[in-house]
Amino acid sequence: MTAAALSAPRPRWWRSRTVRRFTRNKLAMVGVILILGLTLACFVGPYLLPFDELFIDLRARFAPPGTGAHIFGTDPLGRDIAARLFQAGQISLLVGFFAMLMSTVVGTVVGVVAGYTGGWLGAALMRVVDAFLSFPSIFLLLALAAFVNPSPIMITIIIAVTSWMEVARIVEAEVRSLRDRDFVMAARMLGLSKTQIMFRELLPNVIGPIIVAATLTVARAILLEAYISFLGYGIQPPLPSWGNMLNGAQQYLDKAPWLAIVPGVAITMAVAGFNFIGDGLRDALDARSDQR
Amino acid sequence: MIRYLLLRFWQSIVLLFIVSLIGFMVLNLAPGGPLSQYTLTPGMTKEALDRIAEQMGLNRPLPIQYLDWLWNMVQGDWGNSYRDGRPVLEVINRHLFATLLLMGSSTLISVVIGTWIGIRSALRAGTVFDYATTVAAMVALSIPTFWFGLIAIYTFSLWLGWLPAGNMYTVGNGSLGDYAIHLIMPSMVLALVNVAVWSRYMRSATLDVMSQDFVRTAKAKGLAPRRVLMKHIVGNALVPMITLAGLQLPTLLGGALVTETVFTWPGMGRLFLDGLGYNDYPVVMGLLMFSAILVLVGNLAADLLVALVDPRIRLD
Amino acid sequence: MTEATRFTPTRRQALLLMGAAGVTTLVPSLSGLGAARAQETPSGQIVVGFSQEPTVFNPHLLHIEVDEGVHYAVFDPLFDVDPEGNFYPLLATEVPTVENGGISADGLSWKVTLRDDVTWHDGTPFTAEDVKFTLELMVDPDFRSWRRTGHEHVQELTVVSPTEITWKMAKPFAPYASILASTFIVPKHAFDGVADKNEAPFNSAPIGTGAFKWKERVAGDHIELEANTEYFGDGPYLERLVLKYIPDLTVLYTQFKTGDIDVAGLQWITPDNYEEAQTLEGKEVQVVGTATFESLTFNMERPQFQDLKVRQALYHALDKQAIIDALYYGVPQPTETYMPKESFYYNADLPKHEYDPEKAKALLDEAGWAPGADGIREKDGVRLAFTNSTTSGNHLREQAQQFFQQSFKDIGVEMTISNLPPAVMWGDYWMLSQFDSVVVGLNTLTGPDPDTSDYFMSTSSAAKGGAGQNTWVYQNPEVDALLKQGGELVSPEERRPIYLKIQEIMRADLPFLPIFQYATIRGWKEGVTGYEANINNRIDTWNVRSWRWA
Repeated sequence: MTAAALSAPRPRWWRSRTVRRFTRNKLAMVGVILILGLTLACFVGPYLLPFDELFIDLRARFAPPGTGAHIFGTDPLGRDIAARLFQAGQISLLVGFFAMLMSTVVGTVVGVVAGYTGGWLGAALMRVVDAFLSFPSIFLLLALAAFVNPSPIMITIIIAVTSWMEVARIVEAEVRSLRDRDFVMAARMLGLSKTQIMFRELLPNVIGPIIVAATLTVARAILLEAYISFLGYGIQPPLPSWGNMLNGAQQYLDKAPWLAIVPGVAITMAVAGFNFIGDGLRDALDARSDQR
Repeated sequence: MIRYLLLRFWQSIVLLFIVSLIGFMVLNLAPGGPLSQYTLTPGMTKEALDRIAEQMGLNRPLPIQYLDWLWNMVQGDWGNSYRDGRPVLEVINRHLFATLLLMGSSTLISVVIGTWIGIRSALRAGTVFDYATTVAAMVALSIPTFWFGLIAIYTFSLWLGWLPAGNMYTVGNGSLGDYAIHLIMPSMVLALVNVAVWSRYMRSATLDVMSQDFVRTAKAKGLAPRRVLMKHIVGNALVPMITLAGLQLPTLLGGALVTETVFTWPGMGRLFLDGLGYNDYPVVMGLLMFSAILVLVGNLAADLLVALVDPRIRLD
Repeated sequence: MTEATRFTPTRRQALLLMGAAGVTTLVPSLSGLGAARAQETPSGQIVVGFSQEPTVFNPHLLHIEVDEGVHYAVFDPLFDVDPEGNFYPLLATEVPTVENGGISADGLSWKVTLRDDVTWHDGTPFTAEDVKFTLELMVDPDFRSWRRTGHEHVQELTVVSPTEITWKMAKPFAPYASILASTFIVPKHAFDGVADKNEAPFNSAPIGTGAFKWKERVAGDHIELEANTEYFGDGPYLERLVLKYIPDLTVLYTQFKTGDIDVAGLQWITPDNYEEAQTLEGKEVQVVGTATFESLTFNMERPQFQDLKVRQALYHALDKQAIIDALYYGVPQPTETYMPKESFYYNADLPKHEYDPEKAKALLDEAGWAPGADGIREKDGVRLAFTNSTTSGNHLREQAQQFFQQSFKDIGVEMTISNLPPAVMWGDYWMLSQFDSVVVGLNTLTGPDPDTSDYFMSTSSAAKGGAGQNTWVYQNPEVDALLKQGGELVSPEERRPIYLKIQEIMRADLPFLPIFQYATIRGWKEGVTGYEANINNRIDTWNVRSWRWA
């Protein structure tokens, strides 16, 4: 991931080439299709199903997939799993998306500031980044989740809190490598303020790596949400999320394995989709990838 | 070298301090407290809980509690578990083996398989094998570990009945074979993600080495391809792998935690979840610190190892 | 099943309580116990699986139920309670009563005579000094005693002789007998020279008088106890007792199925496995009632719940039976009260709950709660909407909760689920009544004693500055008066009508909607003899001294 191709101040010319490289990447296209398909299913699907995701029918509990109109079967309360899956997808995708947004903003700001200013502030900021990176974030995430009120917004925030460091690190390295370039010097001589230089001049030049990191962060955030909700510390029922649909599935594993299989496949598809896209973007933005 | 070590040492101390501050704030600023789990014990009264909180010093101002904890910690006293009154380090130590066993065996599996896949797909870059393993690795990275564990339990324990669904050994049977059979599933599940990571890195490391002059020279000198491979490629590609091993430690530890929860494996992950469940703050703090130290030491060891293996890298 | 009854030589009419003036058959001293000592040598081992890990071995420190699994094996109280609610002596030669002169007629003076043939596991003889030490430890200001209730009234503790101890109560306190029945006597000499009793070595290597001696603990895995061959009473018959920690109920059941554990202990077999468990070869399974009742509990301070009609309507909207049958596989029994059916004080004549959504709607209409624009009823600016909380992670309860939510919605009441992690839930949120409503399983009794002052007395609300757990903030002067009266009487026969009346009032007032009385599914291997469930004491090992292999 070199910045050589990105460092020129006018980004427009590489754009089309990047897009072309991206669209030629089959895996990335599979990713795009997966994500578009899932998003469509989750946001439109509920309107097409004959069931409400909250409607309880104790007589219909544990119906295997394909029972009547229950294409994915029913859960221990007799609710339709397909309806829940799609509603859950909305939550999980939104949590993933907003956690990405938050952590990208925080990570970018920290990275740009640390990379450009350097000195004690930069060093201090990067030590904080290192601190967050130096314990398994899942420990921190669980410690946070176990003690806060688990609303979707809180869950989004704590996932963001444990996910911003990668972006910060990448951006810091990029900005540091750019800060003594000619165009920055020029901006400085023109009398632009620090803030203007950082966010008007430098930021557009590191946008590529940020997008890549952001895409991968969505994938990560979805995985994290799933895990903490699986353990019961995340999104709380009756609000469904892919993770909390799995919560309790272990108990019914031999009786109703579809409770575990269906949401897990959805999570894998979503995460794989974002990973494919992120990887495709990275290759597309990486000038060297033509040589490979 | 000494200067480098000193610098790293001081950086680590600062890091640990920040870690402890974050951890302490997270645990103590949240509502509820370590005693609330006893509320529903028959006969429990508010009076008793308040009194015990007072006796345990839980009512003191947080900065005082933190400084108290920090001061003891610096002196090697990590506090006592609220649950069984044993020193935190002793408690962690008792769960360490299980986690190390799991991490060790899964690392062994993932290094062996990952290296093989990585080199093979690098040597055959662009073939079906390369493409297939690339896709497989990306998919593997996308599967939630805990879910994969559930599916493995369903398949191999409930459906096929080949392997035990959890625990480290059968009660009353501590034989080596018994351990081994319990270890298979969790270590495989934990290895899945790591195989993907290792094979990806190995592939690009191998490609990097292959493109370098000395390999071409060696080929030109007419050395047998296999020897070229073994001597140069593997030797050189392994250097970044050591760094990777260090960097992967937090992920591996996190993965072990996740795996342990699914397989009721009696390691540090289990201890951490129990600690959270019982609000055993000293143990939770201890584990946060312990894992941070483990990661720092791991990274440092990786750096030193790289310096030893690769004469081109000097640490100063 | 029959083994343990040897400890309960009294008949049903001897029901309870010491001090019982009307009771003529005193629980006799179990001198037979001592005589039966020269029995067979202990042999074999039993592995009990627990889903929580016992970690607190000093029985007087703050602990959870599972810890008592060890306490009952290693220690003895002065006397204990059997499943029928009768006391039987252990370290005491007889249970003190008014009849035998152990308690004065006013209930204030106590005298307990002790066995002279008891030694601690380390060989030191057991004396009245140990009893004195224990009772003083409970109120030691520096000791983190988990319970002072009752003990705080004890004054003038006097060791008359090594086998006799006396004290005075500051006020008559009927539940004290039940409290003593779960107060394990600990050795004074183990704390000699120990500066901080909270950190005594004893706390991690307990020394008791019980049928089993402490052997070792493998943390996170199991605890091993070995037979105390010098035990003063009947038993033990087992050479070894292993308490195995299995942190997952599914695995606990699997290991019970495969025979890895001999007894499926605390948290027991989950209801969804009940049907299959009954068919298992070579396993015995039994459903046993417990003193814990599940309820939908209201914060009576909230304007939504001040109208009795609202509470009645919500009760009618609950389909209890559907929840019990579907979610709990019919294992627990529906109930109308907080008192377990097995209790002598259980009121069987309370009005039966009817599931009738139409009636619920009618009640609300009648009381003037009319549906608003969004279909949710309201009255005088108060929306009939509230939050409901419980511990997150309790799957069955969360499912029941969602079912309630739908049932209430059908009658125009909005219940929002807001579950919290245990640390938050059972802290101030619960204690200071910061909730609207809660689904909770509570045991409000003290062993077999029917006193519930800490829960229902109007002065027991922490939200109002009280020290108890009246988290409903339930205020009823009549109940207050009855509780006070009942706590001062000693005769079970005299106390009974009072507690029947309290249950009647609670059923009418509905500060909580009683749903069911919890039942647990016990399971043990065929051949395990002596295992018996005890409603007054949920932990499996309460009579482990008489367990054996057939």
